[in-house]
Amino acid sequence: MPTSNRSFAALIAASLLALPVAGCGPSYVRGSEVEGLDDAAMSTGIDRRDMEQLLHENLKSLMSSPVARQWAADGSRPTLAIYPLANETSEHIDSQLMALLSDVETFMVNSQLVTVVSVERQMQMIAEIEKQHGGGFDRNNIAEYNRQLGSRYYLTGKVFTADERAAGERRVQYFMFMQLIEVATSAVLWQNKAAFTKALIQN
Amino acid sequence: MGRWLHALSTATTALFLSLGQAGCAGHESRVQNALAALNEGKPAQAAAHLNEEMKVGSNDELPQLTGDNPLLLLDRGNILLAMDRNKLSARDLGAADKSIDMLDMSRTAVDEIGKYIFSDDSGPYRAPPHEKLLINTINLMNYLALGDLSGAKVEARRLAIMQKYLRDHEETTALIGLGSYLAGFAFEKSGGASEALLYYDDALRYAQYPSLRDPLRTLVRDEPKSPGIKALIGGAGPLPSVAETGEAELLVVVGFGRSPRKVPNRIPIGLALTILANDISPADRAQANALAAKGLVTWVNYPTLTAARGSYTIPTFSLDGAPVRMEQAIDIEAEVRKAWRKVEGTVILSALTRTITRVVAGEVVQGVTQAVDKDSGPLGLLLGLLTSATLTVADTPDTRAWSTLPAQIAISRIRVPAGQHELVLSARNVTKRARLNLRPGGWAFVPMMALR
Repeated sequence: MPTSNRSFAALIAASLLALPVAGCGPSYVRGSEVEGLDDAAMSTGIDRRDMEQLLHENLKSLMSSPVARQWAADGSRPTLAIYPLANETSEHIDSQLMALLSDVETFMVNSQLVTVVSVERQMQMIAEIEKQHGGGFDRNNIAEYNRQLGSRYYLTGKVFTADERAAGERRVQYFMFMQLIEVATSAVLWQNKAAFTKALIQN
Repeated sequence: MGRWLHALSTATTALFLSLGQAGCAGHESRVQNALAALNEGKPAQAAAHLNEEMKVGSNDELPQLTGDNPLLLLDRGNILLAMDRNKLSARDLGAADKSIDMLDMSRTAVDEIGKYIFSDDSGPYRAPPHEKLLINTINLMNYLALGDLSGAKVEARRLAIMQKYLRDHEETTALIGLGSYLAGFAFEKSGGASEALLYYDDALRYAQYPSLRDPLRTLVRDEPKSPGIKALIGGAGPLPSVAETGEAELLVVVGFGRSPRKVPNRIPIGLALTILANDISPADRAQANALAAKGLVTWVNYPTLTAARGSYTIPTFSLDGAPVRMEQAIDIEAEVRKAWRKVEGTVILSALTRTITRVVAGEVVQGVTQAVDKDSGPLGLLLGLLTSATLTVADTPDTRAWSTLPAQIAISRIRVPAGQHELVLSARNVTKRARLNLRPGGWAFVPMMALR
């Protein structure tokens, strides 16, 4: 066989052998392995980073509010309950919002301004109450939960979206609205709305 | 001899190229076994066939969301709902929802739709609006069956986005009715009376739902906000809520039969030309006639709709042994046919144009062989015919669609005394029994899919 033909045959064989290797498909990676992985938006959906950003903005606002300054001044450390943020978006993020409660709990405990009712214990108690009523967490029963918890204030909120579509393009605006409410009077002592936008733009 | 070989290699190359373009068997063959299992009333077996197609081991696994897997996932999601595996069904439909884009039905896109539906089955699947709306509507059933009102409201919002998009594009479909009804129920049971009223009012734009009359009498408290609600209530006074009376509410939805599905169809070119008499360009018509006269082109392949299954079945619902009235919620079959009628002409036109192009390619092959060897007449003709015939036979019209959509959906909503109840639903030889324990002021949602 002439050399050129042998080389050609070898090239074909190598290509065929390489095919299964090249066709391995996608692989899983860690954020530390790919630069900017945590920064890139994978979709117009809300992700962990987005929620942390919104939460951080809201809690920063709470810390600079008059009520937080008063807590710092009198050192009374009142009892605070934290409730799940209501999901009013077009994404199924209830479990992510539940996970966010631990972040709020940690932040408020570290602030040393309030005594925080353990979120885990609180959820167990709520589950027990709701089990008796035959349902899941019901926001309409927050007053009853507070009575049982003996909390003076509670922190709650909701995440909602404004979603628009045009031919092939999509823009979603996310808002995280949070409130601090006094249990006895239902007075809103602080509230803030953090927002950001995500979009899919056709280039 | 060398020239013969050259001609043969030209034809062979053309053949392989054409086969590559034509792709594999159509989508209908991928769901054939699953649908056959459903016909026999074996949903678990149907899901197993789909798992095989998606290359996953069980219903618990999500496949890679590539190729047509999202579409097969829609089918599996519907079958899992039929098996009362609501959590898995919700996961499947949710994953598919995010992976399936919607076909742009605007007037300017009609030509593209024809090309897309006929010849682009290798590209990502784009659902027609009725399918996209039904993903959220059917997923609302899953979340309501799970008692997850927050999840149901998320689906309601997703549905509202699609509805708004359709309205902005002057598109409408009666399928919005059921979705709005269920969305209204989700908001009503979450304590969102005003949102519920908006959704119920929207539902009444598409159909009269007698079962909504009493819930609306409770919600509007003698102050009907819209002509649709006013017409349905018809002057009847307000009704106390189930929380006030100590009763409970029961909402039952039964999907049955299967909507028409797409299959490849072959029609004589003469018939295609007759159907498209007003649409085809004079140049294409002349070329088609010339090719038809030569006897080279005889058939045109394009997708068409089959008959639906079980359109005329009447589902039954009995509670504690007594029959309960059901009303038609949506006629999905009619909506599927309506959507298809809109694009069918364009699809056939695209099929014809493609056939002409391919046969011209066959003639080119014949011309090449003749140019190479003046004595290659019969070979050239043979290769030309081989090329065009192969191209025509191997043509796979895009038959992708959500194959397990029910043909009809019926609904019933009643007040019942709190406590234990026995419920029996039946349609197309599928029976579902449920024992419910309803607390005062409570509710239950019971879906059933009889996909035979």
